[in-house]
Amino acid sequence: MNRLVIKNLRKKFNNVWALESLNLELNQGEIFVLLGPNGAGKTTTLKLIAGLLRPTEGEITIEGIDLSEDPIKAKSFIGYVPDEPFIYNKLTGREFINFVAGIYNVRNPDYETRLAELMDILDIGPWIDELSESYSHGMKQRVIMCQLLMHNPDLVLIDEPLVGLDPKTSKTVREIFVKLKDEGKTLFISTHTLSFAREIATKIGIINRGELKFIGDMEELSRISGKKDIEDIYLKLSDDNGIVQR
Amino acid sequence: MIRDLVLILSARAKMFLAAVKSLSAIRAVSFVFVIACFVLGAYYIFIRVFGYLMNVEVIGPGLLDRLIEMALFVFFIMLLFSNVITSFSTFYNSRELDFLFSLPVPPTSIYLAKLLENCLYASWATLTIAFPLIIAYGVKTGAPPVYYPLSIVSIIIYMVIPAAIASALIAILIRILPRLGPREVIMISLALILGLTYLYVKVNNPGLLKIFETENEQSLLLFAAQLTTVGGVYIPSTWLSNILRGFKGAASSATFNFLLLFFVTLSTLLISFIIAKVCYVRSWLSTGEHSNKKVRRKSFLYHPQRNAAKTILFKDLLIFVREPTQWVQLSVFLILLVVYIFSLRRTPIYFFFPLWRTIVAFANFAYISFVLATLGVRFIFPTVSLERAGIWFIGSSPLSFRKVLLVKYIFNLITAVIIMEVLLLSANLFIKVGRGVYLLMPVIGLFVAASLVSINLGLGSRFPHFNEDNPSRIAAGSGGIIAALMSIAYVGASIVILAAPAYNYLSHKFMDMPVNHLLVYAGFTLFVLFSTFTIVMPLRIGIRSLERRDF
Repeated sequence: MNRLVIKNLRKKFNNVWALESLNLELNQGEIFVLLGPNGAGKTTTLKLIAGLLRPTEGEITIEGIDLSEDPIKAKSFIGYVPDEPFIYNKLTGREFINFVAGIYNVRNPDYETRLAELMDILDIGPWIDELSESYSHGMKQRVIMCQLLMHNPDLVLIDEPLVGLDPKTSKTVREIFVKLKDEGKTLFISTHTLSFAREIATKIGIINRGELKFIGDMEELSRISGKKDIEDIYLKLSDDNGIVQR
Repeated sequence: MIRDLVLILSARAKMFLAAVKSLSAIRAVSFVFVIACFVLGAYYIFIRVFGYLMNVEVIGPGLLDRLIEMALFVFFIMLLFSNVITSFSTFYNSRELDFLFSLPVPPTSIYLAKLLENCLYASWATLTIAFPLIIAYGVKTGAPPVYYPLSIVSIIIYMVIPAAIASALIAILIRILPRLGPREVIMISLALILGLTYLYVKVNNPGLLKIFETENEQSLLLFAAQLTTVGGVYIPSTWLSNILRGFKGAASSATFNFLLLFFVTLSTLLISFIIAKVCYVRSWLSTGEHSNKKVRRKSFLYHPQRNAAKTILFKDLLIFVREPTQWVQLSVFLILLVVYIFSLRRTPIYFFFPLWRTIVAFANFAYISFVLATLGVRFIFPTVSLERAGIWFIGSSPLSFRKVLLVKYIFNLITAVIIMEVLLLSANLFIKVGRGVYLLMPVIGLFVAASLVSINLGLGSRFPHFNEDNPSRIAAGSGGIIAALMSIAYVGASIVILAAPAYNYLSHKFMDMPVNHLLVYAGFTLFVLFSTFTIVMPLRIGIRSLERRDF
């Protein structure tokens, strides 16, 4: 069974189509990276899958469950990280992680050990018990990553994961994503960071003006665009006159 | 400086206009309708009360003037309170301040823009009640046409003084005690204002704080006629009251007091401006440097909970306890209520007649219900909006909005019922009402509390304000105003529905009239049906609205 199936997904905001007929299938152990310029429809796509927007047309199925018919069950497979990391200002990082664990009903006997390990990997231990109102963007991003890994969802949706992260943490995050893929998780990532896409994606999508211009792997991308460098490929395909191959 | 101030204000005005334009037609019309109903309703009540007082022989007109002066004094103290509470977040804790202070703009321009913003936010509620009051007073006293524009301009000028005093007080406190957190600064300011007000009233008119007890009608009238209120030559409420009264006699009195009010406001503004020039930037910087970075070792969420409802409840509790503006305001409200309830212990002896005791008990019930309505708007309405961007998390989690709202509803209901029942039971105990009323009122109170919580939570979900992190401002927005007026309308309608059976009860008990069982049963059934509707509908609207919302 496909982990994520999107059929003819469309979204209209105030009579403008933000997303035009998106079709996509993702399986276990895949990292799908969605590339596109600002306002292309990347965040809209992620929010639709996360259940934060209602589709105008089309359907989304997660683990065979229709998101519109049984949203609660479908969402139990999802972990979503928005582009603007948010933690309640008056909670500490630890409290936020535990809050998420409570909502997802995480009942892991090794919970505290696992949390300690992740705090170490993500280097959040020194300030995890301070109120998050004093955190920087990158610190919040790391706490959000930690909560995501604590509830360990099958389908990970991440909007711009590297924004605000220092080089060391970026590397750690990349390694974590690859590890998740190896564990059979599915990752749907939206980003502007082309090198990141080239390094970890098993499948790449390029979206512009709400329309998926391309979907395939790096080799197909190079072949269709006739260019080797991902930056050149991206610029060519995200151009209005770029090749449409779905 | 003026140019920069104009630039900041014009940006604000554009944002406001854009927000108004983005309102749906239904929301805009319902907002205007509800406001109009409230203002007209208040005007009608003032006209009736003032009309009654004007017709009371000998002391009526004098009492009316004192009532106005007292109301203006209470407005002034309320404005000081609300300006102090909103000042900290407006001048020191607003997200746009980082941006504004990075611009090549003099800090005094930022201060003046923020002063205007704070004054508007803290004063709108008082203005909506003050306008019908002064217009009704003018109509009943037969004031000339010039009274209306001059009194409205005067009350607007009057609003500036507490805003300037509050901003200066907070700036000085932060400057001299930079290590204090927001809750300490607000508490010290409020304590200072309360202490000074008490001292002033005590020194100026000690008789006012005493309950007059007599059974002699003549001495009661004499007491009322000689009673000087809290006014005095140094108090702006007296000047404003003199402006309003001036039109009945010599107009020169109104002109003199208007000029006095105007120049004192200007002077207060100038002093606060000088204080801001000296210490606003430093105070703002020190709040950043000494921000409260306490390490919290233990809390409800130090370990994960095994239940989603408990998790949400603990999260809400932690956020409430750690948000000083929230609990400081709640504490002030509760302290004032406790003072009010204990003052009932000293009920004057002319209320000892059982009929009066029962009437006082009903009036007290209405008062407590209105207070609970106010608390609901201020503390329950913003709860969904305060999720802010965290709503993405709830929206994408396997947790239904129905469950989230029900948890919030139950928690707020328990709190509201405790406040309502403690106040009702203790007040009725002090008033010494009959057993029937003593047992019945808490049951009615349960329905009122359940309805008010539902109205505020439901409308708070229907009209959320996820971009605002200041609960006072969320409550002051258009959705908050609709919720406030709906709550007041609910309480008013309930009192009207219950008035008929209550009157029948009083007539039976104290005037030996027969009991109209049909009227009593119909009245209570209608109240229960009406309350059930107001419990179910707003919650359903709120849940539906969140489920259908695009985040």
